[in-house]
Amino acid sequence: MPDLYESPEESRELGLPRRQAGGARQDADAPLADREVPLPGAADAHLAPAVQQWLDGEGSEVAARRADERQVEFWHRLGEEAARRRRMTTPAHVPQRIMEAIPAARMAMATPMATATSVAASTAEDAGRLSLSPVAALAAAAGLVALGFLIGRLA
Amino acid sequence: MNTTETATEPTEVDSDQRIIARVLSGDREAFSVLIGRYSDPLYRHALGMTGSPDVAEDILQTSFIKAYNHLGEVRGRFDAWLFRIVANGCKDWLKNIRRTHLSYDEDDQPSTYATPDEDLDRTELRKDLDEALAQLAPSLREAFIMKHVEGRSYEEMAELLSTTVGALKMRVHRAREALQALLEEKYA
Repeated sequence: MPDLYESPEESRELGLPRRQAGGARQDADAPLADREVPLPGAADAHLAPAVQQWLDGEGSEVAARRADERQVEFWHRLGEEAARRRRMTTPAHVPQRIMEAIPAARMAMATPMATATSVAASTAEDAGRLSLSPVAALAAAAGLVALGFLIGRLA
Repeated sequence: MNTTETATEPTEVDSDQRIIARVLSGDREAFSVLIGRYSDPLYRHALGMTGSPDVAEDILQTSFIKAYNHLGEVRGRFDAWLFRIVANGCKDWLKNIRRTHLSYDEDDQPSTYATPDEDLDRTELRKDLDEALAQLAPSLREAFIMKHVEGRSYEEMAELLSTTVGALKMRVHRAREALQALLEEKYA
């Protein structure tokens, strides 16, 4: 029995907040890509409403079979493949690979910050090199005054 | 996401928050708990969307690293936040890549089929389904995979994709009709 349709039990187990089905907006927020460029043959495709309801977990298989036996068989077959895919797990090496990549990622993240920090540090260093102590400032001022006085005397 | 793998109950959400707090306080190894808890359903999503195990692994890795680096920004449910990172990663990949052939050749699941003929049929169905899925618009493919491969309810899908149940039903119904059109001649 394929597990293609929605299982009410599974939904309940998911423990998610329930929402009201439907709604005025319906497909108003569907991406434009969904509304254009139909697939070849898709326009002719018609899935019986009873089959759609069965696949949605809202109708019985008996009703779906009554509507279209062939479609139900088709979806049973696809359901087996879907169930197989649902059992797939992450390859064993992936979690370890992610954990190993995390420090590197942090370093990558740190790089711009480090750059910014080093830029800030070097700017401060430059500022320190250019800054004058009070004594040096007084000496420089005195020198300038003396130089001005000398120039005045010569002129 | 599957019940056994996801944190949807309030206590588990709290648990996620506690793990996040541990990671943020410097316990890097605690992040592996979150990876173990969510990697399977997210891997299946990425695999379904891209059709490539290698790409799915890369998207998963990139997404977890992104999540780790922005862990301090999580507000609300971590699993929903993480899912959106992965889903966006898949969509970005699909925007950049136009694939005409997808394959699940690297299937690590043992076959349960008895005869070589049945195995052959099975492999062919996988290949055909992949090719058919690849022809769907990304949003239809996403809705179909979430519903039928990941086994999510419409309500959960609506929550994760920030849209309405009605819109998602429409997408899934369209996806089914398109797949039926593409595959029924051979398989019905």
